[in-house]
Parts: sequence; C-alpha cells; structure tokens
Amino acid sequence: MTTPGLYRRVVRRETHSSRSGIAIVLAVLLILVFAWIGVEAVLAALKQPALLASPKDAAVTILDAASAPVGLLTAAGAVVAVIGIILIIVALAPGRRGRRSASSDRTAALVDDRVIAQSIAGTASYAGDIEPDQVKVTVGKRSVDVDVTRTSGRTADLRSIQEAVDDELSSYDYSPSLRGKVRLSKEGTVA
Amino acid sequence: MTSTNRFLNRLLVFVVGLVLLLAGGAVAAGALLADVKKNVSQSAKDATQPTSDALSGGQPWILWVTAVAALVLILLLLWFIFRQGRGRTNTLLEVAGGEGKGSPTGGTLTIDAKVAEQVLEESLARDPSIVSVDVSAFEVKKENVLRITAQTRRGVSPIEVRRSIDRAVADWDALLGTATPVVIQITGGLRSQLTGTSRVV
Repeated sequence: MTTPGLYRRVVRRETHSSRSGIAIVLAVLLILVFAWIGVEAVLAALKQPALLASPKDAAVTILDAASAPVGLLTAAGAVVAVIGIILIIVALAPGRRGRRSASSDRTAALVDDRVIAQSIAGTASYAGDIEPDQVKVTVGKRSVDVDVTRTSGRTADLRSIQEAVDDELSSYDYSPSLRGKVRLSKEGTVA
Repeated sequence: MTSTNRFLNRLLVFVVGLVLLLAGGAVAAGALLADVKKNVSQSAKDATQPTSDALSGGQPWILWVTAVAALVLILLLLWFIFRQGRGRTNTLLEVAGGEGKGSPTGGTLTIDAKVAEQVLEESLARDPSIVSVDVSAFEVKKENVLRITAQTRRGVSPIEVRRSIDRAVADWDALLGTATPVVIQITGGLRSQLTGTSRVV
C-alpha cells in the first residue's frame, strides 16, 4: 500500500522550493501590465482619453528611444539583462530548503537543519562541559561545523567533543549525510 | 505536499528571465555597436509614421486584437495563480461498501483527517520534547497522505522525536486497522525559539 515512490516524491518536493512565491509575483506583475495594455487599447479604439499614454504615443516613444544616447541605452539594457539572468538562475537552481530526509518502511521524515544544529550544539556542550552559548554550530549541505569558544585559562576537551559529535552524526540516517568538524576559536571567554 | 505544478512555476520564471535577458542584451549590445545603432534608429524613425497612423484609428482592429490577447493572457495567469497550493484534503480514508457475503461493511465508510489529527495530537502532546503538533492530510498521486509536523523544543535529538512519533503512528495504525502513508516533519519553528532548551538529557 505504502509505495516508496510516493515517499520519494514527497521528500523531493519538501526538500526543494516550489518557486511559487516568485512565480506568483511575476504573474501578478504580468497581469498588471497586460491589464493596462488592454484598457489602453479599448480606450483608444473607442476614442476615449487615455489613462497614462495611448498605444500610439507609447509605440512612438519606444521607437524614438532607439535614437537615445548610447550610455543610457547600454545602462538600461544591462540592468534589464541582469534581472533576466537572476531570474534564469532562480528558475534553474535546485533551491534547497535546508532540510534533510530519512525514510523507514513505515514513514518518511523530514528534519530541519536547524533542529540538527541545535541538537549537536547540545551534545557538544554536554561532552565538552562548556556553556551552551560557547558552542556555535553551522549545518551546511554535507558538513557540520562546530565552533567552540573555550573559557579563558581552561582547555577545552576537543577530542571528546569531536567523538560525541561523530557519535551523534553516525546515529543519523539522513540524506544528504553529514560530516562533523570541531574547531576551537582563538579567543576565550571570561567565565 | 501540495500538487503545485513546479515545472510550470520554473518555466514561467525562466521564460520571463529569458525575455528580459534577450531584450536587455540586444538593447545594450546594439547601442554599443555604432553601425547597428545607426541602422536600427534609422528604421525606427522610418517606422514611426506608419505605426502612429495604424494605432491612431486607421486600423482599429489592431487595438481590439490587442485587448482580446491581453484579456486571454490575464485569464491564463489568473488560472496559473489559483492552481498553486492545492492538494489538501479532509478525508483520510474511504472504504467502499462491498457486495456479497464476505464483505466487512454494508455501507461506505469515510474516515475524516480530523480523527487522525485529534488522536495523534493527543498522544504526542505528552512528549515533553515536542512543543506543538500539526496534523493534516494531502492527496499525493491519488493517495491520501498524512503529514505530521512537530515543532521541537531547542536542543532535543531529532532521532528521539522521530522515534516517539513513529510510536504514536504505530498506535494509530493499530487503532485504524490499516496503514496510510505518513510523512513526518520535524521543525524548529518560532515557538521552539521562544521556549527554553530541554533541561533533562
């Protein structure tokens, strides 16, 4: 009954952005532009005064713009082209949402990277016997960086922290999987 | 979990981006090349008179065609916007009444997603590592899928939370008598930022 294909689809869709936000924004902008063009066309056909500019004036202005100064044209074109490039990148990039997945026979699970980071921070501070706010954890695509700030005049037990973090990471079955790296920052804090 | 057509979303973004890139690139490159600029601005000047004649009443059909095309495009875009985010369902399970001797039920049985919601929220509310639970049902690939979103307290192990939810799901399966697909989301939302860290390890 429960198909792995179904879970694969859900996991794939939940770990990547649907791009619906930017798509809806673009659609609304296009609707406004088309609505304006349509209204102006009808007003001009009925020989009524235009809202902003009649189709004739607009077309003539665009044709005239071809003889505008070089610098202005280049700048305007470049700005528009850069916006276009950004949109193309957004359309093609995977758009990961900072989650990872684990599936068992029965259920599929999606875990926020933030939850993983908080859990590892707790593990590290417990293992190294340091305050929780002396540990900063960053979860990347495949790696976990644990930055430990030691208390001034005391040494931090990096090895046991590393072991505890590795222990916890090896109990995870998430994909993409994670590797841990513990670093000691140079400055210490005053206890 | 929704049935949003993601390819269509990306296609719209891509097409708009491509149009902007080509138009902007053509303008910028054309303006920099002196020959091209001279030719284009000359032919634009030549085209000005006929264009303004056509649009100022000489050819009213152009204006009507433009208006209709704009209307059609607007309707398409509205359809595009309103088909986003669908796929939620209120029904979790439907068992049709069988015919003949061996059938278990005489009529159709419908189980609302609300039932699952209340049972699972009730059993997970007792877990101290979970701040809040949200259960809803979605239709994916013609199957009804239950989504359990659990907001965790800061610093709890996601493995433990998963285990506890899996236990609740097993109880629910036993109660229901069948297994519907379940997707678990473990998040650290706003409420988990505001609540304190878990103290007992």
